Amino acid sequence: MDTTSSCDNLHPLEIAVLGVFGAHPAGAALTTDQLAEATKLESSQLSMAIEWLLAKQLLAITSETVTPVVSLTAVGKSYIERSSPLDRVLSAAREASSTGKRLTIADLQTKEGLEPSDVSKAVGRLKKEGALLVVQGGCLESTGRPSPSVEAMRALLCDLDEAPRPLESFPEVQRALIHDYAVKRGSAREPFRIEERTTRSYTLSQAGAAAVTALAGQAKAEEVAQLSPDLLKDGSWRTKRFRKYTISLRPPRIAAGKKHPYREFLDAVKLKLVSMGFQEMRGSLVETEFWNMDALFMPQFHPARDIHDVYFVKEPARASAVAEPFFSRVAATHEHGGTTGSTGWGYRFDPERAKRLVLRSQGTAVSARTLALSPSVPGKYFSIARCFRYDQVDATHATDFFQVEGIVLGEDINFRTLLGLLNLFAREVAQAKEVKFVPAYFPFTEPSVELHVRHPRLGWMELGGAGLFRPEVTQPLGVTVPVIAWGLGLDRMAMVALGVHDIRELFTDNLDLIRTTRGAF
Amino acid sequence: MPTISIFKSDLESLLGAPGEPRTVSIDELQEWLTLVKGEVKGYQADSGELRVELQDSNRPDLWCCEGIARQIRIKFGGTARPYPFLSKQPGRPPQLLVAPGLDRVRPYVAACAATGYRVTEQGLAQLIQTQEKLADIFGHKRKTVSIGIYRLQKIRFPVTYELANPDDARFTPLGMETPMTLSEILMVHPKGLEYGSILAGQSRLPLLRDAEHRPLSFPPIINSREIGEVLVGDDELFIEVTGTDAAMVVLTLNIFAANLADRGAAIQPIAVRYPYETPFGKRVVTPRDIGRPRPIQIETIERALGQELGATVVKEALETYGYHVSTGKQSVTVKLPPYRQDLMHAMDVVEDVAMSLGYGAFSPEMPSQFTVGGLSRIEQLSDRARELMVGLGFQEIISNILGSPDHYRDAMRLEGTEWGKMVEVRNVMSSSFSCLRQWMIPSLLRVEAASARSFYPHRLFEAGEVAIFDSAHEVGSRTETVLGAVIAHAAAHFSEIHSCLDACLYYLGKTYGLEPIPHPSFLDGRVGTIVVSGTPIGLIGEIHPEVLERWQIAMPVVAFEVNLSRLEQVV
Repeated sequence: MDTTSSCDNLHPLEIAVLGVFGAHPAGAALTTDQLAEATKLESSQLSMAIEWLLAKQLLAITSETVTPVVSLTAVGKSYIERSSPLDRVLSAAREASSTGKRLTIADLQTKEGLEPSDVSKAVGRLKKEGALLVVQGGCLESTGRPSPSVEAMRALLCDLDEAPRPLESFPEVQRALIHDYAVKRGSAREPFRIEERTTRSYTLSQAGAAAVTALAGQAKAEEVAQLSPDLLKDGSWRTKRFRKYTISLRPPRIAAGKKHPYREFLDAVKLKLVSMGFQEMRGSLVETEFWNMDALFMPQFHPARDIHDVYFVKEPARASAVAEPFFSRVAATHEHGGTTGSTGWGYRFDPERAKRLVLRSQGTAVSARTLALSPSVPGKYFSIARCFRYDQVDATHATDFFQVEGIVLGEDINFRTLLGLLNLFAREVAQAKEVKFVPAYFPFTEPSVELHVRHPRLGWMELGGAGLFRPEVTQPLGVTVPVIAWGLGLDRMAMVALGVHDIRELFTDNLDLIRTTRGAF
Repeated sequence: MPTISIFKSDLESLLGAPGEPRTVSIDELQEWLTLVKGEVKGYQADSGELRVELQDSNRPDLWCCEGIARQIRIKFGGTARPYPFLSKQPGRPPQLLVAPGLDRVRPYVAACAATGYRVTEQGLAQLIQTQEKLADIFGHKRKTVSIGIYRLQKIRFPVTYELANPDDARFTPLGMETPMTLSEILMVHPKGLEYGSILAGQSRLPLLRDAEHRPLSFPPIINSREIGEVLVGDDELFIEVTGTDAAMVVLTLNIFAANLADRGAAIQPIAVRYPYETPFGKRVVTPRDIGRPRPIQIETIERALGQELGATVVKEALETYGYHVSTGKQSVTVKLPPYRQDLMHAMDVVEDVAMSLGYGAFSPEMPSQFTVGGLSRIEQLSDRARELMVGLGFQEIISNILGSPDHYRDAMRLEGTEWGKMVEVRNVMSSSFSCLRQWMIPSLLRVEAASARSFYPHRLFEAGEVAIFDSAHEVGSRTETVLGAVIAHAAAHFSEIHSCLDACLYYLGKTYGLEPIPHPSFLDGRVGTIVVSGTPIGLIGEIHPEVLERWQIAMPVVAFEVNLSRLEQVV
């Protein structure tokens, strides 16, 4: 065994016990009592320390002796105050004799409050010793002779009041009395208890001796638990020893201040887009149907505009107005194409419907607003917009969710540069080298394309949709260059990164989950 | 949009020449389906049933086995099959007479007969599915367009489309055993109950009957059981389409005519005579070619696609996509096939060129012009505040914005107060999602209420959008970005959250003061408005124990909320 390390891990109680052995000649056997006296430890602490040292095989038991020890019981302790029944019976008899009164056994019970069994035992013993006579009529009389039992009882109560003593230390008379008045089976109410006490003596094992030697070397320094400003101020840390810790234990938990893992994911996307030259757009959670749908050339009879797909606002239900000239231009485009070269949808545009307020259902609404605000050409824009869908909530459908969307404007924008941009997204956002472009349908783009990528971990997945905005969208809003509209579907990537299987958990209220999720992007 | 069910063997026989099915693997089919913006969603090998999702809501002709097969067949066969029923036929076609007054109820009708195709089980399933999908999705649940199919041999021409007295006209409808009046059908028949609202307020109702006064159907509700129940083995059919949009009615009939012709039927056109004017005149022979030739500059197509193609390539691409094309020097003149009507802008043709050539034929090219990226001012401020809150030991939370008035208002003791005004939803699906949050602290209490077992202290924050009711604003509310923070533990105290607010605003460079106010969500005397340059920008205080009780939170909570949008504007 490595003594130094075992020495380092010793508890202060163990060190105290070993210290006593160190003060005795080598090989000395010490008893529990001797150790108790020398260490000044409580008996429970001492026996704990001895147990540990025995377990570590630093101490060994050399001998074990069993000694009967006498102590006072609770009854015995009460005799110190009130005297023993023996004493009280004799005193009562003497008093009766001197006053000439009659004293019966019944009197002793009623007047002295003694137990019948105590009375009969005392009377029997005193009669035998000749200190008491039972005369006619059951009256007790004192003979005037002393009682050795009463004397011995007084002396014992006095002696044992301080501490228990070995039975052997008492003279024969007292020992006999103790035996007569000790707690035994069938007579629990007695003043004395005789117990067998095991006294062990211990010596140091070889390892123990080594530990003592090692400790002696350290003994000069006092051990402290904690470095303190005072120790540093006066330099006294130099003379202290710092108890070593068991550092393999788990530390207490603390809650770190940190970002939400889903937000971190969105931050990473945001950073990517900014680094690719995109400018952020912001929009409103509540929108008119005009900006949410009409401006995107979705006809008012479009199935997706039904009451079942969008949340409508209760109060106010409608916007007071929609900004011109966009309102008239979009209405004309829907009806007959306006000046866009389109045939339009060929129906009567309902201006009241256009003013209806809805919870934004697509991020493209933000793009439409931007197009109407004289955007830069060339220009790249993105938004991470909260959108709302009137949909049954389940593991793949959330009632509100983020859409990552945007636009790219420029003279050089065409179908091929659209594909080029999507290639860039595949590489930068999904780290994908393989892509597939699949024809798609969106009401506001033509041509439209879906971007499928081979994600390094997720395999083939749909990363997003895009297209060239229809001229029916851009021209009424005052934009004459071609515009790419793109959107990325990142929820699946986010869910995998966060290790959740239910889209609703992205907004979880489970703090433990939020605290423990690392997020791997 | 729609997902349809088709049979692989049926598709294969439609893909090949008559009598010579063309077999196809599922992988191959998946490739080809890009031509129709379709995707295989499921395949049962034992029954041969395929579930296919079609994306394009402007191409109802593709929502059926025949249409999918046709688009693929033209691509690989190189040319479209001619549809002779579109050209003038010898002899007078049978007539369908429209009675006066229908222009105010359901003005348009188109019809044809189809003979020589014996209806198979799979063919009948397709016929019924196409009828349902077109009427339901394209026809807006039969409002704009509905379709009826009948056994031709039971019908004597001319057929009349008229208005009938609801209590006089009677016939045995499909699904019933005994004759019923039109009123009874509306009140009792499942289809009457489902679609009756289309005819709400009409005193006289549409009825199709033949020359012998036998009712064919009660459009758009239900067919007669006697004439209008097509069975497997029938080989003479009559098809009619009624509706409120002349072009959509004719297009729908054209789709059915093309589908049946593709299955080998001879199509007999019908002449519809109106007593009123229609976009196609008073006498309209249907099916009818409604496509109009449209000239498009080659350069327009090339510029949009970013690639030089030339007239020949464009012509071939469009012809193998079903168009009729003639070329000029710098332009092509295109006309859509009769089953399509989705050409609104030249860009629609551009996409068809790209789809016909395959998107793989276009090599991606990076946009070359330089742009500067950046975040909005509010996002920059929000990010800065989030960094600070993280540094102060707070865990970020992210919550739904759509929630319930119970949480955002009532549990916060804000009923009837200015702070309790919010944007509420009219068409509520679930009361848990029926309003937008007007402040942030309830979002954080939501987490607090669910996380009593998570070890304390809890220090939570969220930066995000809220909708603040404002009737003066264009859309009735302002979307603003706010920062909310809460601390919860056994000894959570005003001064602790105050220290955090103090540090946060210090580093954001704002000098602030607190002014005591009464606010029902907080303990009186322990709540204040945060004021910067005389503008109130937020609240701080100890959450009222009654609020905590309503959230069932058994831990003291202190909180602050700062409106970052307003903070960004104060100088």
